[in-house]
Amino acid sequence: MKNMKNNLDEMQEAKLLQIEHNGCWLAFWGLLAAIVVELFVFGVENMRYFIGEWVVFMALCVYLGEACLRNGIWDRRLKADRKTNAIVSLIAGAAAGLIFAAISLVRYHSVPGAIATFALLFVFVGLCCFLALSLTAKEYRKKLAQLESEGDENAE
Amino acid sequence: MAKNLKLKAARAGHDLSQQELAELVGVSRQTINAIEKGEYNPTIKLCRAICRALGTTLNDLFWEENEE
Repeated sequence: MKNMKNNLDEMQEAKLLQIEHNGCWLAFWGLLAAIVVELFVFGVENMRYFIGEWVVFMALCVYLGEACLRNGIWDRRLKADRKTNAIVSLIAGAAAGLIFAAISLVRYHSVPGAIATFALLFVFVGLCCFLALSLTAKEYRKKLAQLESEGDENAE
Repeated sequence: MAKNLKLKAARAGHDLSQQELAELVGVSRQTINAIEKGEYNPTIKLCRAICRALGTTLNDLFWEENEE
């Protein structure tokens, strides 16, 4: 197919990008919410019932992460430093711990079991998240340094 | 963003409607309207096209002395 003419001018293009941006984040949070609800309904052992949502969600995450990394972009507000990564990991660990503790409590009606689930998930997800963020931040800094030095006439 | 009254005046000075100016520079009327109302910040490419169409300069239409 030949390149089709763009019917939009620059302002309409900017508005369409904003609409697509909003749609992307709506899909991201909507899929995450759907997966959490399905975890409650079906349980982890019946993941086959919501594997589609999970695959699409992971594809979206991988695409966003990889595209940002390739372009030397981290986040609008958060910095790629150890302290910020640790705080984000703590929040992620606590969120995962709370969700799985609630699922455990609903299914097995055991408070000690739910507390143990929370502790386990909090530590495991928190550590995994911190490790993943640290490795990604390292790659990000490397890519940013490369992009910043490209085409710099003073560096020649 | 403040209204771009200079653009509005220059367009009126050439006896052009928003639609006619939009056609001259190859954008929609709503884009010209948004620029005049200060709701859209055009790219330098579009600024130059507007200046060419109105026979004026970037300074005359888009420079503001006390811009924050």
